[in-house]
Amino acid sequence: MALFSESVEILCSPAAVPLQMTWHGQDYAIEAEPLRWYERRAWWVEETRAERGSGTSLVDHEIWRVQARLKGQGELLTFDLTRHLASGRWRLLRLHDGVQVRSA
Amino acid sequence: MSFIHLHVSTAFSAHYGVSWPDDLAQAAAADGADALGCTDRDGLYGTVKHLKACMAAGIEPIVGVDLAVLEPASDDGGPGGGGHGSGGGHGSAGYGRQALAVNGRVVVLAHGGIKGVGYRALCRLISDAHANASTHTPVGITLEQLVARSLDPQTLAPVLTVLVGPSSDVGQAMAGRKYLTPRRNFQRWHARMPAGTLAAEIVSHLSAPGETLSTAHAVRMLKLAREYGVPAVLTNAVRYCEVDGAATADVLDSARTLTPLTALSGPESRLQPNGQGWLKTSAQMIALGREIMHAAGYGGAELAQLLGSTQELADRCRMDPVTDMGWKQPVVPEASVLGIDQDPLVELTQRAEAGIERRFPGISGRAEQVMRDRLLHELGIIDRLGFSSYFLTVAEVSRMITEMGVRAAARGSGASSLVNYLIDISQVDPLRHDLIFERFLSQDRATLPDIDIDVESAQRHNVYHRIFDRFGAERVTLMSMQNGYRARGAVRDAGLALGMDEEDVGAIAKQLWRFSARNFREAMAEKPELREFAQRVEQGQQNRQSQYGPGIPQTGGNQQLDLLVDLTERLDRLPRHISMHPCGVILGDKSLLDRSPVQPSGLGLPMSQFDKHDMDPMGMLKLDVLGVRMQSAMAYAIREVVRIHPSKTEVVAAGRHQLNSQGEGPAYVAEDGHIDLNAVPLDDEATFELIRSTYTLGCFQIESPGQRELIGKMAPREFNDLIIDISLFRPGPMKSNMVKPFLENRHGFAPEVYPHPALKPALQETHGVTVFHEQVLRTFDVMTGCGLARADEFRRALGNEVAEGKVEDYFRRQARKKQFSLDVIDQVWETLKAFGSFGFCKAHGAAFAVPTYQSAWLKAHHPEAFLAGLWEHDPGMYPRRLLVAEARRMGIPILPLDINHSTGEYRVEEVNGKLGIRMSLAGIYGLSGTELKRIVAHQPYDSLADLRTRAKVGRSTMKRLAQLGAFDALHLTSKGETGSTASRSDLIAHLHSLPVRSANRRWEPIEGQLHLPLGDLELNNLKDELPEPSAAEKVRTELDLLALDVSDHLMSSYRPLLQRLGVTTADKLLRLRNNSEVLVAGIRVATQTPPMRGGRRVVFISIDDGTGCVDATFFHEAQEKSGPLLFGTRMLLIRGLTRRTGPRGISLQALEAWDLSQTETLPLPVGAAAGQLQAQQA
Repeated sequence: MALFSESVEILCSPAAVPLQMTWHGQDYAIEAEPLRWYERRAWWVEETRAERGSGTSLVDHEIWRVQARLKGQGELLTFDLTRHLASGRWRLLRLHDGVQVRSA
Repeated sequence: MSFIHLHVSTAFSAHYGVSWPDDLAQAAAADGADALGCTDRDGLYGTVKHLKACMAAGIEPIVGVDLAVLEPASDDGGPGGGGHGSGGGHGSAGYGRQALAVNGRVVVLAHGGIKGVGYRALCRLISDAHANASTHTPVGITLEQLVARSLDPQTLAPVLTVLVGPSSDVGQAMAGRKYLTPRRNFQRWHARMPAGTLAAEIVSHLSAPGETLSTAHAVRMLKLAREYGVPAVLTNAVRYCEVDGAATADVLDSARTLTPLTALSGPESRLQPNGQGWLKTSAQMIALGREIMHAAGYGGAELAQLLGSTQELADRCRMDPVTDMGWKQPVVPEASVLGIDQDPLVELTQRAEAGIERRFPGISGRAEQVMRDRLLHELGIIDRLGFSSYFLTVAEVSRMITEMGVRAAARGSGASSLVNYLIDISQVDPLRHDLIFERFLSQDRATLPDIDIDVESAQRHNVYHRIFDRFGAERVTLMSMQNGYRARGAVRDAGLALGMDEEDVGAIAKQLWRFSARNFREAMAEKPELREFAQRVEQGQQNRQSQYGPGIPQTGGNQQLDLLVDLTERLDRLPRHISMHPCGVILGDKSLLDRSPVQPSGLGLPMSQFDKHDMDPMGMLKLDVLGVRMQSAMAYAIREVVRIHPSKTEVVAAGRHQLNSQGEGPAYVAEDGHIDLNAVPLDDEATFELIRSTYTLGCFQIESPGQRELIGKMAPREFNDLIIDISLFRPGPMKSNMVKPFLENRHGFAPEVYPHPALKPALQETHGVTVFHEQVLRTFDVMTGCGLARADEFRRALGNEVAEGKVEDYFRRQARKKQFSLDVIDQVWETLKAFGSFGFCKAHGAAFAVPTYQSAWLKAHHPEAFLAGLWEHDPGMYPRRLLVAEARRMGIPILPLDINHSTGEYRVEEVNGKLGIRMSLAGIYGLSGTELKRIVAHQPYDSLADLRTRAKVGRSTMKRLAQLGAFDALHLTSKGETGSTASRSDLIAHLHSLPVRSANRRWEPIEGQLHLPLGDLELNNLKDELPEPSAAEKVRTELDLLALDVSDHLMSSYRPLLQRLGVTTADKLLRLRNNSEVLVAGIRVATQTPPMRGGRRVVFISIDDGTGCVDATFFHEAQEKSGPLLFGTRMLLIRGLTRRTGPRGISLQALEAWDLSQTETLPLPVGAAAGQLQAQQA
């Protein structure tokens, strides 16, 4: 497994589900049904302000686990992506070795 | 379809919930829900507020609780451990009453629409949960208790529903990938809970797969429910109204567990997995349901079923506030309990009649007519409201207290009632002081009125116990109060969450003074004492910005300060815990405990989970039995007077009380010398002379610097003046500058002005200035003819944006009809409007004025006994040492500690024909209660050995007694007999040199030797080696060990320094011209920040310099100059201008202040070296 914190570009469906990822100038097609969850962040370390009523969550980190193929035809790879809730920007967190069995 | 949230914690789940019931109900209603649940942890703390909020939002309330489930410590290493763990087989709590441990939490909802049966079961269940708690067992409920309470005992119909969800033993067991345990646990719930009382709670916070609150766990719970045919309901286990609240919830978790956030997170995280626990919208909840169904492999039908059963349960639990919970239906004790066998109104009328002779002896003619009309009027209203039993109940409590021999006085608007006066609840004649009954009770207002009873503080707990005995434990409970975060507590807990240095946070907290934490950032910009802190915050911001710059060193934690401010603001006002209300006792009939859950209080008596705001909505009769130290002090003073002067003649002589023409003393002094304080006439000239002198330290209500200033200006001549004085000294009148015109008119400097002659009768007593609520009522009545009851409703509407407009319309229209001119109407309306919600009820003022007068009377006539009472019970705003200084000022001898004369109390003692006050042994630091009792029991002692032998006093206590001079008298006798010249220091050194243990034996005389007149061998043989301690040393010792400066004033040792500085003493200030610039110095005795005109803060600091008090006023600029000194410093030097406040009053307008202990910073005259002065001072 490789760990990253790199900016990636993600194209989403109208329902805000990731469809396509651009990483290092390469396009990856995301297979159907990515998995999405929320993890906490250590906001008291990462943030400098926590004023009341800011409207967005300081606590949540949106994580997407997607399976994607380079140009829609390469090997099936499993990526963990994160979307910053305030800015909407995406970063790549992890690239898993081989195909992950989706656990529920 | 709209979604109904069944599992919601409000902010009243202390250190857990984030949002207020109002916000939650508004949000739910705005989203289209027609009902909302409130399930606080461990109790119904927020329930009544929830009811109110739901009714205001137009939705139906659902009521429940979130409770821990208790299990016996299990043997598979489960909750509590036990059995064969490392703890060993002989479990300490395993025998006798078995210790119980928490095994998950469940939500319990009461069924509604069943005439309160569900609500009753819920109340009793919660009381059970708190009754289970002990040192070894947390608050929680056993499965057996849940089963027992879940059915109506009469019909066996289900009345409660238990939600088994992610926090239950079932949900928790899913974490460990134990596939069988969750199922086994669920099976047990299914087997044990009666049909129709169990539901599975499906919650997903969309946390990482396999974690708690994940969709995967929700799916497993859903499948279990389907397998066992148990209804499944969807909730979001809500802790906050909006997304934003999640961070606050984290901070609350930190505060609850007393653990910094960083320590709470990590692999074994005890924080919420993420921030998804907000009150999601219907759309969001349905989408969430769909996601769960999708993950479970189900479809639309199953989703509809889940949402349907959620709706069904919500429907079953809709509460009818009136029929289920007794909303606004007053309940008072049964007549039989009061010992009444006839109609309560008849009883009340008879008792009032019986009171006429006692209260108005010989009344006749017009006066009698007025009185009888008033009585009839009051009884009519009481009858219409059905409150006769209420009055009889209060009278019964009042009678009981008096019978106990405890001083009691009614307070509050109850003094407006003639009935209260006649049946001895109140001591104020409402006719004489022109008090209006409608201010207390009217037919337009069907809420139970408040009657407050002040009792001696030292007797309060006894009074509570007596009330419980008298009415029965099932009818009485103490009221609770919610304690919310204020600025200091909030900043401490925010600092804890951030893992900041405790000392640093403590220092910041100390600078926070009387502002709400919500406005922390605002306060930083404005308040001089926070200037330093604000700079640090800014520095932190700059450091952050330049972090990427070249090697800027980090300065201790300033980076976190911005967060600290934000988190402090987030915590503002959130409830921290409940505690016993200082005075509220709830009285009801035998159904009381069906209507309120109770939990143990510190007193050992049960305490309701409801607070004062919940009383009226829940129809609960609350009696305020307030412990007032002043009442204890006065009771003590009266006992001291009798002890010293055990006959009427002696008391009358000592107190210089008036004799009648036959040379007899007044009737309020009994033959045995006992003074009936309540019978003392309210027109004693000596008392008013004392009050006018402004030497009113220790007098109830009129001892504060502001009050002393006001009294100096006003110069009260009669009791009514006192009522006015107390009413004027309130935020409202002070803010709106009513005081100045009042005083000008009173002293005839300005002509009295009345808007209209018709208003003169109402406003005359205050020279045309509106001070009292009663005057507002009369003004409304005179101008509109609305009647006093409606007038009181109008008064209540003043200041309320919506209602005030309607009142104004009515007022203008009716006054026009009554031919008042437009000018008059405008002018009067402006006054009424400005009066708004403040002003003061004259009845309150009258009730307060009674103990004010009584305390001043005692100070004027029996000052030694009065001061002894004050020292004993410490009732006022000042430290005790200031009252000792007051005795010194008054020339009352302060008799030092003496092993043969001091007792456990401050006693009046006659020495050389003069009354003084003997220091008490009770104040000595480190002297235990049992040691004290032994010393007093065996007095007197003829030698140190005698004291050791009979009182078994240890070495350290012997030494302390010697240090404080308690052996000086014995020592003096010995010196006289032997010619020894040893000093107190020699004695201390000797006692110090003795071995701790063998001392007793070494000096223990042989049996019988004590009776020989040998004197004290130990003292006789002391060697003269050390000098007597200096006066300053003695004072320092006294402050250390007694917190009092007895032998001399603390400031005395500063004299040389002060002389060099050119300081003026308090006693000389009055001789100075107005506006003279002076330096004063002393010990801080009080700090106040009363509300002021224009909203700008003013700080009053009083210092004591041994000759009296100086009251210094710090306005904005002086605060700026003094900065952090304002609140933190004990010994102050202040430069200021004298301000004459009246013939006898002078105060200081401060310009600048210094810390007297920091000699190097003081403004010494040129040429005087600070070092020299320090040396002199020591």
